[in-house]
Amino acid sequence: MIRINNLTFRYSDTDKPALHDINLEIQDGEFVLITGPSGGGKSSLCRCLNGLIPHFYGGEITGKVEVEGLDVVEHSTKELATKVGMVFQDPENQLVATDVEREVAFGLENLAFPLKLMAKRVEEALDTVGIASLRHRTVNELSGGEKQRVAIASVLAFYPNILVLDEPSSELDPKGAEEVLNVVERLNDELGITVILIEHRLDRVAQHVDRMIVLDNGMIVSDGTPQSILSDGKVSKSGVGVPPIIKLVQGLRDKCISIDNTPLTVKEGRAALAKVMSLRAKRSNLNLSEGKVITSEAKQSLRPFAPLRASAQPLVEVKGLYHVYSGEFVALRNISLKIHKGEFVTIMGRNASGKTTLVKHFNGLLKPTKGDVVVDGINTKEITIAELAKKIGYVFQNPNDHLFADSVEQEIAFTLKNLGFKSEEMEPMIDQVLERFNLTQYRHRYPRSLSGGEKQRVALASILVAQPKIIILDEPTRGMEYKLKTELMRFLDEYRKDGRVVILVTQDVETVAEYGDRVILLSEGRIVVDGAKREVLSQALLFSPQINRLAQSLKHYGVPSDVLTADEALRMVI
Amino acid sequence: MINYKYTNKDTVIHRLNPWCKLAWIASVFILALLFNNPLYLLLLSLSTLPLVLAAKVWKEWASLLKFFFILCLLIIVINALASNRGSHVLCQIPFAIPIVGAPKITLEAILCGAGNSLRLLAIISAFTILTFTIHPDDLVLVMMKTKLPYKSVLVTSLSTKFVPALIDDAQRISDVQKSRGLEFDKGSRIQKAKNYMAIAIPLLSNSLDRAVQVAEAMESRAFGSGKNRTFYKELTMTRLDFVPLAFAFSPAVLGIAMRCLGQGGYEYYPVLQGISFTQLEAIMLIGLVLLLNMLFILAPLKRRVDLD
Repeated sequence: MIRINNLTFRYSDTDKPALHDINLEIQDGEFVLITGPSGGGKSSLCRCLNGLIPHFYGGEITGKVEVEGLDVVEHSTKELATKVGMVFQDPENQLVATDVEREVAFGLENLAFPLKLMAKRVEEALDTVGIASLRHRTVNELSGGEKQRVAIASVLAFYPNILVLDEPSSELDPKGAEEVLNVVERLNDELGITVILIEHRLDRVAQHVDRMIVLDNGMIVSDGTPQSILSDGKVSKSGVGVPPIIKLVQGLRDKCISIDNTPLTVKEGRAALAKVMSLRAKRSNLNLSEGKVITSEAKQSLRPFAPLRASAQPLVEVKGLYHVYSGEFVALRNISLKIHKGEFVTIMGRNASGKTTLVKHFNGLLKPTKGDVVVDGINTKEITIAELAKKIGYVFQNPNDHLFADSVEQEIAFTLKNLGFKSEEMEPMIDQVLERFNLTQYRHRYPRSLSGGEKQRVALASILVAQPKIIILDEPTRGMEYKLKTELMRFLDEYRKDGRVVILVTQDVETVAEYGDRVILLSEGRIVVDGAKREVLSQALLFSPQINRLAQSLKHYGVPSDVLTADEALRMVI
Repeated sequence: MINYKYTNKDTVIHRLNPWCKLAWIASVFILALLFNNPLYLLLLSLSTLPLVLAAKVWKEWASLLKFFFILCLLIIVINALASNRGSHVLCQIPFAIPIVGAPKITLEAILCGAGNSLRLLAIISAFTILTFTIHPDDLVLVMMKTKLPYKSVLVTSLSTKFVPALIDDAQRISDVQKSRGLEFDKGSRIQKAKNYMAIAIPLLSNSLDRAVQVAEAMESRAFGSGKNRTFYKELTMTRLDFVPLAFAFSPAVLGIAMRCLGQGGYEYYPVLQGISFTQLEAIMLIGLVLLLNMLFILAPLKRRVDLD
């Protein structure tokens, strides 16, 4: 049981409180999802629950936080450790031992558990999380999802009543995220552990939670069942990413088509939509088998954006590319492809399937072991990375790897200087890009002190200021909040329309469903599919978006089976 | 790709008690420093190989050879330049170099350098076994037995764990900045230093962030509770472990005895000494080679006894 009364907290290095007048009560066994824009106070709230705030972080705290009857100000994090298990975002930075068993035992060792009891606890924690088979493995050879499960097991060994997870899946690939969330759901379901989960991927977890809390600006904006919160339009406007099914339902409701219960899963969605369709069919007296419920104009609207293939010469051409790391690991095998002006290409595939290795060849960071990569008519073997940088911008995932200058302005000027622009040319370019990314007010701020989303924008601006013909983004949306993601994708979609190329490496199916028009699927260094987005995604199992899985079951109503997004589906149905 | 981290390859050598391996490593180290005779050193180096092969760490061993050859070359060149005690002059350098004078390069000096670098070969094997077959957590336990405070031991082990992460970070950040058109070796010396700041600053502040996160996670798992710690795994020595332990250390003892009997020495100057063996010397040398490889035979044997 958690009881929070009038909690206000301010970090010592800021003026604005991170949490403002929070009142909250969480019952035993509840599964609570906390969501909201970044910088909204989600992590701060979690840190209060095991006393990291105020004991580890300092700062100024007023109000009362009681966990299992213990006041967190009076009891140290160490005392609270056995009551509240904390799992953090980055699996790399929370594991300290070398092998799995000892990692799980680490906390028990700290509390001087006797050996016999420790052995029993470790055994149970490993089994509960389903990693008993990994017990003798070294931690650094595990996948991200496995590491995160080790982290969960290592706090479960304390037998905590409460488990707090701060974005446990945001650093993981979809498969790893799935593993971790499955475990969390089971812990709540079978063992009755109270779970407090911070998560962006609502489509994945919303159906499992009892309660959803939206935090913004350090305050609780909404608190209720996921159905009630998600169907409330207010939440989606505040920047919380609503799952596509909910978006569809909202659209239907806006058109006065009533849907009783807000569906959270594809299964519920299918049932709700089938009801709507059959009702409409009955009303207009149409024969279902002819599929006339859907107008042909609506079907026409699914046509993709036509890339400007008029130019004979592709911007990027890869011919028989092989890449071998250290003479041993073959990362790419016989890759050939052409990318033309105006294309928005998405490169998908599992972890270690060669996605990043491939795009690193485009800007010369890697050179082919065999084969050729030709960019804008020039073979990358004959040109330096710096010269290629004038044609190709490459945005890496973590903005913390980008930023180092003393001000946002200098950060952006750094790229221009490297590329040989003169200072009088630079001024208007910088002004323009600051304006474009809404950064003008931060012009003289130290970039590393900005919030996560702002840093991401600075990193992007520092690449896009040079207006490269080709832009590569490597997993830009991982862990990115919804609002920022939408803004970025819209920007990229505009960017390519001027005859430029956007290449996106991602595993985020829903984003691909909405943006871009060509998908290249890699597996073990080979191209498995290279084709129009609609074909690739609508025939996939793992890589198919939520709405498409919904549409597949409505084929007999004439809904085309290659509908990918909520907007498209809405156009079909209405 | 060579991974400079411990991976549990689950060989008999990996499963062997760490004390036994440490004793063997100490033996090899002592012997490498004890003998001068290049033939003895060569035999010593070769005798370490079966263990390296049995532990399946020969790839790591081979990758370290690169450093061995660089060092080898360095030793030979420096020795050739610095020592002019040999009598077979290969070349007389016509001009004077400060401090060294006008050196003559002699055959003896070159061979002396080559002979001495054989020591390194044996030490590389010892190092390979140390880093790649002893579990870092076991090393922590060994250090604990030597009464070092736990916190300092843990910090040491954590830093070895995070060094590879730091190298990955540096590589990634350098890729990021290169993609922004940065050329590290361009411009004046001051400009070059500035260029490297584009790596140093993100690297440093990322590492600080990492340190805070690790500390936070450890705090959340009751680290530093004040009470005495217990250890999930104790380094226990069964009576059976003493057999390989004794055998692992025996080469050092035998080596010291041989040295006391005047064996294993060698003179390069003024002319190369001939190599000849008395019967006793040959027998003792063979004994030494066998003892060095006893671990290789005893490890699987002990495994069988353990299972029975």
